[in-house]
Amino acid sequence: MSDAAVTVSGLTKVFPVPFHREPVIAVRNLDLRIEPGEVYGLLGPNGSGKSTTLKIILGLVSPTRGRTEIFGRDSSLVESREAVGFLPENPYFYKYLTGEETLRFFGKLCGLSGSRLRERADQLLELVGLTNVRSRRLSTYSKGMLQRIGLAQALIHEPKLVVLDEPTAGVDPAGSCDIRNLIVDLKRRGITVLLSSHLLAQAQEICDHVGILANGVLVREGRLEELIAIENRTELVLENASDALVDRINALATSSNAKLIARRRSTTTLERLFLDATNNPKEKS
Amino acid sequence: MMRFVCRAAALRRPVLVIAMVLAFGVMKLPTERALFVQHRQLHFRDVEFNLDLREKIGQLGFIAALSGFRSIVADALYIQAHVAWERTEWGRVLLLFRQITTLQPRAILFWDMAAWHMAWNASVAAMNDQTQPRLALRVKAQREYFALGKDFLERGIKNNPEKPQLYDALARLYKEKYEDHASAFEFYAKAAVLPGAWSYEKRFAAYELSYCEGREREAYERLRQLYDAGKNERLPTLITRLKFLEQKLNIPNEQRIPENAH
Amino acid sequence: MSNKTAGINRHRSFSLARVFAITTNTLTELTRLKVFYILLIFALLLIGSSVFMARLTFQQEFQILKDVSLGAMSIFTSLLAIIATARLIPQDIEDRTVYTILAKPVPRFEYIVGKLTGVLLLLSISMLVMSAMFLAVLYLREQTVLHETLRQMSAAPREQIDDALRAIRSSALNIDILPGIVIIYLKACLLAALTLFVSTFATTNIFTIVVMVVIYFIGHLQATAREYWLQEHSTGWMTRAFLALVALIFPDLQTFNLVDDIVVGAAIPLGLVAKTVVLGVFYTTIYTFLAAFVFYGKEL
Repeated sequence: MSDAAVTVSGLTKVFPVPFHREPVIAVRNLDLRIEPGEVYGLLGPNGSGKSTTLKIILGLVSPTRGRTEIFGRDSSLVESREAVGFLPENPYFYKYLTGEETLRFFGKLCGLSGSRLRERADQLLELVGLTNVRSRRLSTYSKGMLQRIGLAQALIHEPKLVVLDEPTAGVDPAGSCDIRNLIVDLKRRGITVLLSSHLLAQAQEICDHVGILANGVLVREGRLEELIAIENRTELVLENASDALVDRINALATSSNAKLIARRRSTTTLERLFLDATNNPKEKS
Repeated sequence: MMRFVCRAAALRRPVLVIAMVLAFGVMKLPTERALFVQHRQLHFRDVEFNLDLREKIGQLGFIAALSGFRSIVADALYIQAHVAWERTEWGRVLLLFRQITTLQPRAILFWDMAAWHMAWNASVAAMNDQTQPRLALRVKAQREYFALGKDFLERGIKNNPEKPQLYDALARLYKEKYEDHASAFEFYAKAAVLPGAWSYEKRFAAYELSYCEGREREAYERLRQLYDAGKNERLPTLITRLKFLEQKLNIPNEQRIPENAH
Repeated sequence: MSNKTAGINRHRSFSLARVFAITTNTLTELTRLKVFYILLIFALLLIGSSVFMARLTFQQEFQILKDVSLGAMSIFTSLLAIIATARLIPQDIEDRTVYTILAKPVPRFEYIVGKLTGVLLLLSISMLVMSAMFLAVLYLREQTVLHETLRQMSAAPREQIDDALRAIRSSALNIDILPGIVIIYLKACLLAALTLFVSTFATTNIFTIVVMVVIYFIGHLQATAREYWLQEHSTGWMTRAFLALVALIFPDLQTFNLVDDIVVGAAIPLGLVAKTVVLGVFYTTIYTFLAAFVFYGKEL
């Protein structure tokens, strides 16, 4: 069982509300298992218990019942955090530090020092594309840049698991596209990613596995393509097809008991249009 | 260990914290008391913060004095006393110095100044008081101020028995205001043996003794000893007093100091 | 169990390097708060009071200079300790930086210790600067008075000059001031640790500061309550219970007020200083432990 990157079993979290008899149940009897190397998306509306779950996995909040493990180590142990990097929602770092100092600070907290720390900081600044602003204070960073430095700090100690809480919230499309690419890159390098999001379109693009939380209960869970596939439908996308050809296909379909449901001109997404239009000289040193 | 304690206590943590604070309170109590007793012995906490003092220095000053600004409050009052002195408001000077010395009984300066204002300044002012035509009453007022000065010095000595300055001041008061040479001798002699005493205390003690009827022999021996101690001590007054005693005690000529000694 | 963590040393349950990283970061954070303005006020106070004292005699001048300087050092370091510490943890929680830090392999105890040592470092820097300013002013004034006295007494006998110079020296700098300063620093450390403790369960900065101000005043009265509780047995049980609570909960801050007596030249036995130092360190340690204890149970 300890092969899993994250296991959550029977997790319940109750927050007592002062001066109220009814406590708030944030998570109810949750079971999760995240395999190494996959990108897992924890989805759900605001207040569905995503953040609480992530915090319990990271040992920031203690569970009322049940347990969570990271690579077989109980979340309540400080050691379990060696294997995990965390990017909180809307991260705020020390504004008076530069990007480089921020990475060095978090590196030291992970036991890095000397030339190893310097190298690692250089690599990560390069990876997230902030090398040219490394000695600027974080107070001058844009939201997207903060998110990228946050991702870099989560990776400083080469964790095998990265936990991202709403990584693209409040970031413009170009920024969120960068982050998406970085996540795909992490996956390619064998790093497990656990992210929470309420932006489903983005989750759909990158997640292998998703779990959907509602009111602290896991209502759906499984591989993304299995979850969203519609069993009895198939899509064809054609290029340079004349109307006659399409008519013939339609006829063929009808003759073999199938039915053409939709016929429309392909469009690009608004996001792609936006990215193409704004993707002029983008800083990527 | 910490982790175990913490997990076990997860639910009852506030109760545990209160219990720990109290347990720690019990642990610290003996040390705090021991320090308190030692402070008492060193006269650090002889300050009496009573209602009387609160009325005198006002609520704000009282709170400040209580919370670690005793000496600053005393300084502030001292400056007020200085102003009162410039305006020759003697009653106010007395009152302020009583408060100042209550707040800061370890400060030699305050006792000394208090006594000086009473015995030297206020007494003279009382003697020259134009509004009081009767001499007897002026003299009476003057003697009252002497007594106030003496009282300050005596209480100062009680609070600071190891400091020579207040003995010296009291000796001077006896000498100059009461012309009580025996008491002046007593206090100069007491000052002389304390560490940090002025070098003249011994000499002054001997001078005073030389005025005391019936103690001439003792005085002569002290003066002679000083004379023999070296050139530093052979000041004009010493030589005059010594010669006076040689005369009075009929010291044989060969034992007397040279006629032209200086 | 896949325990291989890409070349990073095995996790240590306590690491000075991590504490040090948090300490230096806290110190940077605090220095950026412009807390050092308090030092400027101190300097102005020094200059102001010496101008004001021009008309007093040198003994009075030295005593007031020492009273005002040491009193100001005491209140400023105490204030600095309370104000700087009160916002540290709430600020980190509000900014969510605490998540990022504690999601690293950093025990909460180290986080607390790191934060506190940052404040203690700030306090020692301020203390050193204030002491240096104070001693410099005192030394300069002493030299001036010495020179003036020498000039005025140039005709007097050697012995009298020596006496006069000795009087000046003994009323200016006296070596007992140094333990006094150390004890002022310890009182500030104690207050910082206590503030940290209060801030772990307080809901707002203001609450922490108000509580600490109350503790500051009651702490100076604690001894009175304690002695009354232990010696007077005729009072009602309610009063006695109340006094006992005050004596047990609050620290005796009056114990750390040796400067009042040191300034006027009272000699402080070394044993007393040592005992006070031990008590101060003990308090600071216990409050840090309590802060860590509460912080361990805190839901972030």
